[in-house]
Amino acid sequence: MLRSLSLYWRLVGVQIRAQLQYRTNFWFDVITAGMMTIISFGSLALIIQRFGSIAGWSLAELAFLYGMVEAAFGVMDMLFSGFDPGTFGRQVRLGLLDQLMLRPVDVVLQIFSSDLALRRLGRITQGAFVFILAIYWLDISWTLPKVLYLPLVFFSMVCFFGGLFVIGSAVTFWTVDSIEVMNIFTYGGAEMMSYPMNIYSNWMRRVFTYIIPAIFLNYYPALFFLDKPDPFGMPSVVYWLSPVVGFCTLWLGLSFFSFGLRNYQSTGT
Amino acid sequence: MRLFFELAWRAFQRQMAYRSAAFAGLMTNFFFSLLRVAVMVALYQGRIEVAGVDLRQATTYTGLVQAVIGFLSIFGWYDLMNNVYSGAIAADLLKPMSLYKFWLAQDAGRAIAQLLLRGIPLMAAYALFVGVIVPTNAIQWLAFMVSLVMAWLVSFSFRFLLNLTSFWSPNSLGISRFGYMLVWFLSGFMFPLRFFPGWFVTFCQLTPFPSMVNTVNEAFLGMVDGPALLKSLAVQGLWLGMLILLGQWVLQKGIRRLVVLGG
Repeated sequence: MLRSLSLYWRLVGVQIRAQLQYRTNFWFDVITAGMMTIISFGSLALIIQRFGSIAGWSLAELAFLYGMVEAAFGVMDMLFSGFDPGTFGRQVRLGLLDQLMLRPVDVVLQIFSSDLALRRLGRITQGAFVFILAIYWLDISWTLPKVLYLPLVFFSMVCFFGGLFVIGSAVTFWTVDSIEVMNIFTYGGAEMMSYPMNIYSNWMRRVFTYIIPAIFLNYYPALFFLDKPDPFGMPSVVYWLSPVVGFCTLWLGLSFFSFGLRNYQSTGT
Repeated sequence: MRLFFELAWRAFQRQMAYRSAAFAGLMTNFFFSLLRVAVMVALYQGRIEVAGVDLRQATTYTGLVQAVIGFLSIFGWYDLMNNVYSGAIAADLLKPMSLYKFWLAQDAGRAIAQLLLRGIPLMAAYALFVGVIVPTNAIQWLAFMVSLVMAWLVSFSFRFLLNLTSFWSPNSLGISRFGYMLVWFLSGFMFPLRFFPGWFVTFCQLTPFPSMVNTVNEAFLGMVDGPALLKSLAVQGLWLGMLILLGQWVLQKGIRRLVVLGG
């Protein structure tokens, strides 16, 4: 374990130093990479003056949800850069994965340390900025459980998105080509989770409750932190499911990935 | 003109070869349009009309936005810049055709293929699952068609300019990304421009970006008619002229300092 960790730091350290070689480019990338967050939220903030709220959620409450999801997705996107289905699919197609399998180090660890896209810091800081704005605007009654639960929810969300990325990568063992449809679950999932789930039609919400249980990561924790009533009358245990769902998704993803790796046949290129 | 059509046809065929990628793009666009519709319905909350836009118009608008993503390459187009960095631009410049027309022809083929593979199927699926309103008379259809072609020309001329930055900067990609961000923010891509506060709309109208998305959608939805419609088409034409001139001027400056290494 300790050896893995030090190896991770060494490999990732190389990556980071490489990315920092072109300073101007790097900062340009950081700033633009996260601009979509500000643009989306800024547009919403501008038009909400006309509408008042979205299904009973004020701009500040939306900012709470939006900032948390964006920052969590950004952190995941940085840590799991190696598992980005787009880049990983390319590795499989070009046969680069075979190289990793020849080395005396765990393949999953090598993929984790193969990339750490620092430019994602842009999305993270801008998501965090929106979140802090929400805390400032809202008058949240902070209790001890809330303070303790907040980082756990955030961490669970990172794991959940990470699990989706890993599943997306594992699929490419069979399809070889990276399948863009996975973007619906990863980027689409993040976009969907940044709005309160009560705005979606019943069938969509059921899919994201029972099949891809995203609702327990964003919506129910947010209801808990903001002391909002649950319009669907679920048992109160739903507020506490986020760590279970988050870790299980990541665990499932990694298991599926190892299964794929065992059955992997190289393209031979 | 013959060469123009040949180039467009080749580009069209090339795009048509990537049908599975186009299908994936279509699915993604459709999924995002469903999300945006949900947001729109939640914003309206039973209101009949907001800022002169009724809910049917608003939801159709979100569908139209997703339908033109491929057609206008709203998420980016980097082919010309890649040719500058690889040196293939030298061969492009030797062609008996201006660089602008050479790429315009190829983009025409690409855009039409994207319209057939993604734009029209998306609106068809959207009509089936969400419901749309369509232009009610021939004049409106005609105005929409004209506006759509103009939007593509404006969009291409803008993308051409962004790509030309590669003649100067090794980081043309970053500059372009910034340019596309302006498109997302100021064109009516996120929400209909009418929903925004007056000062913001005024600011947008000082830029060419509404001519790419908002004008087309308003023409399709019948939100403008008569003199106002003619005016919005004229504004598109004006921006097109300005962007073409600017593009030619920048191109001339750029070619003078371009150095292509042999190899």
